[in-house]
Amino acid sequence: MLQDILVTGLVNGGVYALLAIGFSLIFGVARIVNIAHTAFYMLAAYCFYTLLTRGGLGFALAGVVAVVSVVALSLLCYRLVIEPVREHESAVLISTIALGLIFQELMLVAYGGHFLGVPSTIDGVVRLAGVSIPYQRLLILVVAAVMLAATWFFLYHTRTGLAIRATANDLEVANLMGMNVHRVAMVTVGFSVGLAAIAGVVATPVTSVHPHMWLDPLVIMLAIVVLGGLGSLKGSVIGALIIAYVEAITVFTLPEGAHLKGVAALGIMVAVLLARPEGLFGVAFEEER
Amino acid sequence: MRRAILGVILLFAAPLALAQTIKIAILGPMSFVQGEHHWNGAEMARDEINKAGGVNVGGKRRQIELVRADTNEIQSVPDATNAIERVITRDKVDFLVGGFRSEAVLAMQEVAMDNKKLFLGVGAAHSKLGLNVEQNYDRYKYWFRVSPTKDVDLARTLFAVLGSIGQQIRNDLKTDTPKVAILAEKAVWTEGLVAAAQKNLPALKMEVVGTWQPSAVATDVTAELSAIDRAGAHIVFTMLSGPVGISVGRQMGERGMKAVAWGINVEGQKEEFWQAAAGKAQFVSTLDTYSEVEYTPKTIPFVRAYQARFKKAPTYTAATYDAIMLLKDAIEKVGSTNADQIVAYIEKVEHVGTGSVATFDKRHDLVWAVGKTSGIAVQWQDGKKVPFWPPNVKGMQPFKMPAR
Amino acid sequence: MYLLRRAWSEIRSEILILPSRSLVLVWAIGLLALPLVYSDAYVLRILTMTCLFAIFAASWDLLAGYTGQVNFGHALFFGAGAYGSALVSLKLGVSPWLTVWLGAAVAALFGYLSGFLCLRLRGSYLSLATLAFPLIGLGLLFAFPDFSGGELGVSGVQRLIVGATANYYVACVSMLVIVFGLWMIADSRFGIVLHAIRDDEVAARASGINTPRYKLAVFALSAAAAGFAGALFAHYLRVAGPSTLEVALSFQVVIWGIFGGVATIYGPVVAVFILYPLTEWLGSFKEFGELRLLIFAVIVLLVLLFMPRGLSPWVRDKIEAQCPRCKQRNGAWRKICRLCSAPLQAQVARAQRLVGHQ
Repeated sequence: MLQDILVTGLVNGGVYALLAIGFSLIFGVARIVNIAHTAFYMLAAYCFYTLLTRGGLGFALAGVVAVVSVVALSLLCYRLVIEPVREHESAVLISTIALGLIFQELMLVAYGGHFLGVPSTIDGVVRLAGVSIPYQRLLILVVAAVMLAATWFFLYHTRTGLAIRATANDLEVANLMGMNVHRVAMVTVGFSVGLAAIAGVVATPVTSVHPHMWLDPLVIMLAIVVLGGLGSLKGSVIGALIIAYVEAITVFTLPEGAHLKGVAALGIMVAVLLARPEGLFGVAFEEER
Repeated sequence: MRRAILGVILLFAAPLALAQTIKIAILGPMSFVQGEHHWNGAEMARDEINKAGGVNVGGKRRQIELVRADTNEIQSVPDATNAIERVITRDKVDFLVGGFRSEAVLAMQEVAMDNKKLFLGVGAAHSKLGLNVEQNYDRYKYWFRVSPTKDVDLARTLFAVLGSIGQQIRNDLKTDTPKVAILAEKAVWTEGLVAAAQKNLPALKMEVVGTWQPSAVATDVTAELSAIDRAGAHIVFTMLSGPVGISVGRQMGERGMKAVAWGINVEGQKEEFWQAAAGKAQFVSTLDTYSEVEYTPKTIPFVRAYQARFKKAPTYTAATYDAIMLLKDAIEKVGSTNADQIVAYIEKVEHVGTGSVATFDKRHDLVWAVGKTSGIAVQWQDGKKVPFWPPNVKGMQPFKMPAR
Repeated sequence: MYLLRRAWSEIRSEILILPSRSLVLVWAIGLLALPLVYSDAYVLRILTMTCLFAIFAASWDLLAGYTGQVNFGHALFFGAGAYGSALVSLKLGVSPWLTVWLGAAVAALFGYLSGFLCLRLRGSYLSLATLAFPLIGLGLLFAFPDFSGGELGVSGVQRLIVGATANYYVACVSMLVIVFGLWMIADSRFGIVLHAIRDDEVAARASGINTPRYKLAVFALSAAAAGFAGALFAHYLRVAGPSTLEVALSFQVVIWGIFGGVATIYGPVVAVFILYPLTEWLGSFKEFGELRLLIFAVIVLLVLLFMPRGLSPWVRDKIEAQCPRCKQRNGAWRKICRLCSAPLQAQVARAQRLVGHQ
């Protein structure tokens, strides 16, 4: 049972981490609580599904086109909807909620409330320590690891990354230093939605595509970033693993309580917040006021 | 000038023509599969009746008019009650047919009963709906459940089929006690079923290796399935109404599990299931309503006509067809659209529908009987839904198991 | 006679002098008089729902708008009220007229608890953590189905009162009383403290205000109002189900609140009275009824682009001006302030509006 828990938790943690780091990045840099983040994940999944099964494109091409077009759409949304109301925090918040609803309803109109299945990128299973794992899940794990490494490289070894970190640290000073904070925000939005879109493309073959598929990951993702500390990448990754392991442990030790795995995950989040109100790796906002 | 006269005639004729129709509201979540089949089944019934000259009400021929009411019940319960109030008070419908989500149907039932409108339920399985009729007959007598049978009776069919699958496993694998893993979504409707399974399976010479209860909307059941795999189960006894059914079907296939799934898998009843599970749901089996077998004399023609018209097979909410046919029969026999008289008639009638041969008990639920209201069992084999039970019905095919 | 004349002069000097207050008066009288002239069951049902959700939205505003505790899980309180009242009235056979108060009390207890858990949380942490509370509640409801009825909820709940018009009056009067009450609270000394906590909690604490106590009080108060709405809802529909705890409802109240304009109390009420009937009306069209949520979201988005602070502050600024000297509100047509007779120059007033927004 131990090996089951170890493997399952690790694999699920990969997808969660992909979603959480993108969200965390947007929040850290632009201070946007982007409720529509997982809606972009959903759009990427739909786009990928359409290109793959109806458009007849290959996996790689369909994936790339889906990610690129969703990123383009996110930049457009940012420009048209979020930027004009940037100063009004609450307006930004409900704009992102409204965007999420709009995407959900558009997909409902276009595809109906059906559950759509995306074929696996690679079929088959591998047996690891007596646990069978489909290759698709390994692929997710690999992609998550690669993207995490890429994000780390992007943030810590490029000039743009430096700009993003500077802006996240102190927006006003960054602006005074002559950085174009609007452009930095745009780049961040594009990059993090890109991460969500990649998650959508690689992760949907293990679930199904439907108009409400963004809500469940949304809640889990929010729990992860709060648990790990808003704006902290390290926190997001570790938070993702914690949540995934809590879920796995719940299912394996309490089979009749498998439905409580979400509750257990959220409960852990609340417990951590009680002990550390800024999350595990968050910055205390006390002095910022 | 001629056009003007025509217009005036139409103006006067219109109310008359309207008075001639019998208005039936079809209530369902129209953006979703369930609502789509509600509406499709109803349209077929309407067209068939109207083409044949309409309903004979005490000597007068009246056409049927459907009112499409999107209850949006999957997303919002108040929306559903608003919708039913709208069709009753605004559209002034005579009868109500449909409903799907039990919580919403309970709230809609109240509105319908307030207005003393006949409400034929098609879709919600919860026994509380019928219990209301038994407990407070005068208020709730206008409710009938045309489909499906109430949740408790579903158990009888499930165990009957489970027994025959168990026998097949005993013969094929030479084991005396096949191992069964119970995989039921956490919900009230599965509670009785799970308890019954845990109690009865040892009597059927089967061993229960564990009970797993994921959430109805879980998208990932890998943890549950790997635990089931480890327990060495031969049969996964499913009770799933939510989208978790798709995840189970797909992920069992992906893991190449040797166990075979039988039970209730509402998603598995839909034609879209095979695609939704990305073709991985080989040998998943479920209780179902419609298939191209001679369940009743009307089943095959209905399923074929439905398939020809909508390019897909009907699911159980398409029993709106049966509901409207039952209504037509009742109205013609009674000779009026008076709800009380129709209730008295339906209570006594045996109606041969497309999905069941319906008689109603004192809860206004279907009386359970194999080959009448038990439904059928189907298995997904290479992208096709193949019926395999009850064995005495014409057109059944063998049940298959994954090679070991 | 004297009293009548006194009342009239009060109304004239306190209400009719300001267009926004006159509007509120007309609206309240209109609501109360409506069933006398037009008693269509369907319209009354929609308005009953609207009134219940208006209480819910106003209670959110007290917590989120005034105190800055932007709650993303307000449905918890609505659900707690609904379940609390429904369960007691059903299992113990107590009259619903008593249990609605109990529902509010249960909700207040939940409010106090969530407030306690949230005392040290701020800003987005608080919003996102509160989002989890109703979901945890939902999971527990499913875990104890004997008690909660699981996915079906508690059904067959007793009615408060029979008849469409009677139910409408119950909802409408409760709404007017509670909303007015919340508005009074927000305008009192207590409300000013809440403002202070939102704007600068550290400073408020430094001025000797026991901020945790105030936060707990406002959590409980807001939850009680939301729970009252939930209890009325349960007895009206006769079902208290898990849908009262869903994320969708929590999001809905955030949308209403911000769309109407936060920290106003009446703003969210206006938003509910516009948006709820509007969505229902859109849904009644055969051709595009199924698109109602889409149209709803697009409208919200567009309105916010032009009125980022919400609808009612925008409208109020069009019809009223703030006196630059004494901060009293005046009708937009006046040249000088009605109290201190300072000139109301449009330019100054405009600048004041931007700075002095509540």
